Amino acid sequence: MKLLITGLSHHTAPVEVREKLAFEEKSLPGALDRLCQRPGMVEGMILSTCNRVEVAVTAEESSDAANSVDEFLAEARSVEPSWVSPYLYHYNGPDAIRHLFRVASSLDSMIVGEPQILGQLKSAYMLAKEHGSVSGFLDLVMTRAFNVAKRVRTETEIGSSAVSVSYAAVELARDIFGSLSGKRVLLVGAGKMAESAARHLRRAGVSDILVTNRTRSRADALAEEFRGRVVEYDDLACTLPDVDIVIASSGAPHFILTKDLMQGVINRRRHRPMFLIDIAVPRNVEPTVNTLDGIFVYDIDDLDRVVKSNLTARVNVAEQAEEIITEEVERMMLRLKSREVTPTIVSLQEQLELVRMSEIERVRAKLGVLTPQQQEAIDAMTRGIINKIAHAPITEMRRKANDPEGIQLIHTIRKLFRLGEG
Amino acid sequence: MADSSIFWLRVAAVLYAMGLLHSMLAILKRRNDFYGFALGTFRVGVVLQGVAIVELAMAEGRLPVENFYGTVNLCAFLIALAFLFVDWRYHFASTSIALFPLVFLMTLVAGMRQPAPAWSDVRVRDAWLIVHIVLVLVGYAALLLTAVSSVFYLVQERRLKSKKSPSLLEKLPPLGTLDDLISTSMGFGFVFITLGVIFGVMWAYIELGTKWVGNASISLSFLTWGLCLAMIFMRASAGWRGRKAALMALVVLGCGALTWVAHAGLRPTLIP
Repeated sequence: MKLLITGLSHHTAPVEVREKLAFEEKSLPGALDRLCQRPGMVEGMILSTCNRVEVAVTAEESSDAANSVDEFLAEARSVEPSWVSPYLYHYNGPDAIRHLFRVASSLDSMIVGEPQILGQLKSAYMLAKEHGSVSGFLDLVMTRAFNVAKRVRTETEIGSSAVSVSYAAVELARDIFGSLSGKRVLLVGAGKMAESAARHLRRAGVSDILVTNRTRSRADALAEEFRGRVVEYDDLACTLPDVDIVIASSGAPHFILTKDLMQGVINRRRHRPMFLIDIAVPRNVEPTVNTLDGIFVYDIDDLDRVVKSNLTARVNVAEQAEEIITEEVERMMLRLKSREVTPTIVSLQEQLELVRMSEIERVRAKLGVLTPQQQEAIDAMTRGIINKIAHAPITEMRRKANDPEGIQLIHTIRKLFRLGEG
Repeated sequence: MADSSIFWLRVAAVLYAMGLLHSMLAILKRRNDFYGFALGTFRVGVVLQGVAIVELAMAEGRLPVENFYGTVNLCAFLIALAFLFVDWRYHFASTSIALFPLVFLMTLVAGMRQPAPAWSDVRVRDAWLIVHIVLVLVGYAALLLTAVSSVFYLVQERRLKSKKSPSLLEKLPPLGTLDDLISTSMGFGFVFITLGVIFGVMWAYIELGTKWVGNASISLSFLTWGLCLAMIFMRASAGWRGRKAALMALVVLGCGALTWVAHAGLRPTLIP
């Protein structure tokens, strides 16, 4: 049995290719059926996200699984095999396991360390499992991949820093306030990015969201969405002292939050910290407000710099994660080898016993009637022969169970003794 | 009449102690539930302190300001009157956090103008001193925590202001957490140092009679306590944080260290 992963990702294919190869969720059960019905296929799983389409299969050793999966992809997505093949990669055996571990741990993601891919992989696995197309070898590898991803997240800081502008704002708010529970947020203007930041803040525990906007209807809609309340635009100045976080995204062509205004606000707050997130272009917050004690102003470029710095940090952390992956792949290979040794030994012994019995049966007529003692002596002699024949291969398989060439030895013995696929 | 003046003054000090209790609760629990009661006892204390001053003035035939105790007494009385006026006119109750303890301690000191009887038992004397030392040291430990947290606050604040994220500094706690730690440690520091000072003043008074006032190391203790009170007040009223708070905490801690050094030879200095 062999493991193969075929696919394409943002590393190898542009979005116009990825979108053509992507599977709709509802089409996946049918696709899994067609995949597993192909000759030589044992198990199959399909991962389809906006950044990658991958097919993981286990197949019989004798099958041409790589070509078969390529054909499957082309047929399933109605594209020419020659058109898609330049974008496809194939991983076999240990390389496939490494790739799977890297994907699960988000080392192969467009944004290294992002958590969504693990959820997407789990969904793909659950679907395949429910559908019965994952049940043995692939099941074992997938389960291990999830554990490896968990280990990478626990032992490295790969996912600890924010890599989106909205989330970076939340992380900064946490650096300022600690817990965001009980904090009050004011949205000045109603831009899309402000909405996204507010959503993240709400999830992070912010209890009270106020909205002010020149267009009242838009403010009403946002306030309803966040279960907040609307503040009249003219009341902005007197609302500010009660607010901990301001997200400014108004389309005003001038500064709304000036240094003079904010000086008065921070005095009224008795210098309790305040976080101003200015994602408007042109900016809504006068940059010199950041020089006031207790007020922290981050504009869109500042947040972008934080994101870039975090991304660089993640790439550095990824080296640590790669070491864990290497260690885990080796451990997995050892486990798989030990898993293969015992069934091979049992198969070998059964095969030799079969040969012994059939040979005794074949010559029994020529020997005439045998006494029980003679029968016993023949059994003992033939058993001795097959045990001596089996001794060397069995000893060698056990000895090399943990060596890299162990797998090769098992395959050779299976081939020599015609043990079939196990 | 002088004896009854001392009596009224000491009763006034006990009433002012309710004000001190209010300040401690306000600092530690951030609650003002006790303020109404403390203000009531404070008003009665002011009346009794006034009675004590009038009695003493009548007994001596002049305003009793010829010595340290007299001036401290009058000063405490005037501060108390000023507070009551400001509170009545402007409802500026937040100053009570600083003025209640100040008036209490000044009145306590003023009530020590007559020598007290000597220690009845040397074990009580030693135990009293040990309680004083332990209270002050716990207070200093809390102030050390305040100073360290304030410096961390400053570093974290600068990191956030400069919009840089070096990995080492990212490990610092959030500003909000540091701020809570500063408030709590500062509050406990103030409470323990105040109690330590009260115990210390009473010990010195019984030990040295009225001469303790001239002792330089005790004056240094008062300075440390006064700075600590100022730090608490500036934080509670003006919201001092960041640079100012860190600087103030370091000054108070430095002054506390000097006081400790000055008291290093406490027993040989105080025991004749």
